[in-house]
Amino acid sequence: MTQNPLLSLRDVNIGYRTPSGMVRAANDINLDLFESDALGIVGESGSGKSTLAMGILDLLADNAEVRGQAVFNGKNLIGLPEKEMRSIRWREISVVFQKSMNSFSPVYKIGEQIHDIYKVHRPGSSRAESDGAITRLLGVVNLTDRVLGMYQHQLSGGMLQRICIALSLIFDPKIVVFDEATTALDVVTQGQVIGEIKRLQHDFHVSSLLITHDISVVAETCNRVAVMYAGYIMETGPVRSVIEEPLHPYTQGLISSFPTLESGKKMIRGIPGTLPDLKEEVPGCIFAPRCPKAQEKCRKQRPQPQEAATQHTVACHFWGRD
Amino acid sequence: MEKTKVKDWRKLREFVHNYTHNSRAMVGLCMLVFILMVALLADVIAPFSPTEFIDVAQLPPSGDYWLGTDHLGRDMFSRIVYGTRISLMIGVVAAAISGMTGTLVGAFAGYYGGKIDRILSQIIDIFLMVPTFFLIILVVAIFGSSIFHVMLVIGFTSWPGNARVMRSQAMSLRERTFVKGARAVGMSERKILFSCVIPNGIFPIISNTTMQIATAILTEASLSFLGLGDPNAISWGQMIFNGRNVMTSAWWVATFPGIAIIITVATFYMIGDGLNNVLNPRLRQ
Amino acid sequence: MSRYLLKRFLTAVLTVLFVFVLNFVLIRLAPGDPITILAGQDNPSQEQIDILKAKYGLDKPIFVQLLAYLKNLLKGDMGTSIIYGRPVFDVISERLGPTLLLSLTGAVIALVIGTSLAIVASRKPGGLLDNIISYIAYVLYSMPAFWLGLIVILFFASYLGWLPTAGMIDARAGYTGWAHVLDVAKHLILPAGALALVGVPAYFRIGRSSMMQVVKNDYVNLFKAAGMDRKKVYRKYLFREAMLPTITTFGIRLAYIIGGSAATEIVFAWPGMGTLVLSAIQTRDYPMLMGNYLILSISVAVWMILVDLIYAVADPRIRLS
Repeated sequence: MTQNPLLSLRDVNIGYRTPSGMVRAANDINLDLFESDALGIVGESGSGKSTLAMGILDLLADNAEVRGQAVFNGKNLIGLPEKEMRSIRWREISVVFQKSMNSFSPVYKIGEQIHDIYKVHRPGSSRAESDGAITRLLGVVNLTDRVLGMYQHQLSGGMLQRICIALSLIFDPKIVVFDEATTALDVVTQGQVIGEIKRLQHDFHVSSLLITHDISVVAETCNRVAVMYAGYIMETGPVRSVIEEPLHPYTQGLISSFPTLESGKKMIRGIPGTLPDLKEEVPGCIFAPRCPKAQEKCRKQRPQPQEAATQHTVACHFWGRD
Repeated sequence: MEKTKVKDWRKLREFVHNYTHNSRAMVGLCMLVFILMVALLADVIAPFSPTEFIDVAQLPPSGDYWLGTDHLGRDMFSRIVYGTRISLMIGVVAAAISGMTGTLVGAFAGYYGGKIDRILSQIIDIFLMVPTFFLIILVVAIFGSSIFHVMLVIGFTSWPGNARVMRSQAMSLRERTFVKGARAVGMSERKILFSCVIPNGIFPIISNTTMQIATAILTEASLSFLGLGDPNAISWGQMIFNGRNVMTSAWWVATFPGIAIIITVATFYMIGDGLNNVLNPRLRQ
Repeated sequence: MSRYLLKRFLTAVLTVLFVFVLNFVLIRLAPGDPITILAGQDNPSQEQIDILKAKYGLDKPIFVQLLAYLKNLLKGDMGTSIIYGRPVFDVISERLGPTLLLSLTGAVIALVIGTSLAIVASRKPGGLLDNIISYIAYVLYSMPAFWLGLIVILFFASYLGWLPTAGMIDARAGYTGWAHVLDVAKHLILPAGALALVGVPAYFRIGRSSMMQVVKNDYVNLFKAAGMDRKKVYRKYLFREAMLPTITTFGIRLAYIIGGSAATEIVFAWPGMGTLVLSAIQTRDYPMLMGNYLILSISVAVWMILVDLIYAVADPRIRLS
């Protein structure tokens, strides 16, 4: 692809300082997000996928340490002064968060809170202006401006999540990060919200970064996917290629543990074992202790990402060999 | 049976681990050990008798009388040392009464629900709104101010807070599987209440009761200061009451017992806070 | 909401009735009686005692006395003080003003200081400043109000001589107008200050813990991600939400503080209800005691309902239920 990436991550490392040592949440991450791209980052909880996205936007707790490069519009976002960062947030990169029930303050009406957010980048704008801007977008997610006069507790989780999606588009951002945006919803609402995400990806020409533990959500909404495990990227590639021909043993396990993708008759396999202790430095492949194909080499030497097919890279010593 | 024992052990070890890693709780515990030592070894520590008139009245602090002598010529240091006993006794007994009453009332209300709950809750609400301190004053003024009365009346006016906590505990425990299971295998309601519900819901009561020891000590001090304390007891509140009239000529008589109160009360607050933090995972950082 | 209010109102009425009957019975059960005190050292004859008892209705059974009292109460008559010889209501209303002045001033100062300290401490939980303030709060929390009163009198009034030691006005000077207000203010500083200091930890603790709770709210992330200034999030959103428990605490403590300032009033010889109740107990002035307890419990009950209302206005979530 000759296109220049919109957001380009190079050697991003994120750790949390704790009293008992550094927790390595994301290591040596290299990823590109292109124009009109929909990139899914998938992994178990604790794999570092949310940390990665929030780390780029400098939204992590004070004890987090972010290193590396995240180039957006020719600027490295990592280490950017707070003031410059604030002007990029929401106007260029917005976020739809997971916990929908608590996404707004309980003591103000939704419309007023949206106005406050609107004013951040449009100082001095009136309530009517912000109401107008959001009403147009509420239509896209099948809501009316009636919700603006309501309080958080009067709305359902699905409605709140739709408001958040509409709100994420209010400044026509280049990138929208969906951080487990459908996870807390029931199955029916989840389906509807996914439908709306797909539509707006199409209508608004935004690039999206979709973080989820549910590979079926990625399959529906993304064109590329990165699989993360314990802070490392295991495999990246076009969604079809990764799901139909997973090359990494971890991806293979992950896909076979979701029943909806494969034919119903196949046995659903979980991956035995649990996430490793992220405080310990592991010399070899991080997945080796749980990997069914692990050999001596895997425990000694860390596999580097290598291109296996077009656009499809995998970090495994033994990909393709059974 | 073996299994539950192992589980209990692990819980206890986890509790000890969390408690020892809470700095404020540990400071409180060390202070408690110190206070208990003073109370137990009062006879050894105190250089003089707390009740004998040993010298001239209102002597300032000196090498002989570390904290001076009071308005009647008794050694202040010895009196404060002995006063620890009364304060601890009043605090512990009153809080125990409050803890037990509150636990029983709250557990009954929360576990049985329905009509029993409505009536008991109403009673709890009423007691919560009663101006407690004035009621205590009244009872003590009328029925006499022996230590026994003071402990009793403090205990029986401070239980509603505990009852409220225990009630909500019992209400949620009632729906838990192990309680339902116990009922399914035919355990009697009373047995379930005392062997499943109360032991599992008691933790917040423990920290609450620890705080109440502190409150009870303060209340006793206030009563004594108002002249409604037991005149025969060696009580810190009483010492402040006596010192008040000689405040300008002998500041030490009222000052030092106050510091003793602060140290003791703060100890129990810190332990109570610590227990609350340790036993309530939501508050842990 | 209205059903809830009705329930609260019912509890309030029951509480007042309960306190009333309990006190009535307790007081009548008391061993000493005011007649002996009234009759003084004259060693009164049985005849004299009977006359006095009949005058105050003390010769009838408790139940009859209770009904008679209630009947008068409905007419707005709280009886006549045995010791003062004046209507109980008049005496209490004279004392109510000073008590409210003292306790309200103390409570407001405590609220402001406690909440400010909470905000400062919650900025860096576990930091040095947080630890220092927390330990100071423990000390203040553990301090008997009356003892603190004695200490500040000793230091600021006796030793430094900056402020008056006791009372509410300088009776000899007989100030009027602004001079009077200034005089009262000067007398108010020490007792209100002592009362406030003892009240600070309650607001500090509640404010700090709710501040630490609300910063964990998910919407904080939304506003941060939207590029909103941290200060604005604090000022407009977190502060208001964190203040909710503080408002309740303030309200509840206000209800009890009318009685809670008693010890401080006595230390400073402040002419309020606390001193009145204590002297009424010592002299067994039954009507006076009953009147005080009644007003106290009614005020507590009314306050509780008011606090609920204020809370409902501040927190829209409650309006629904």
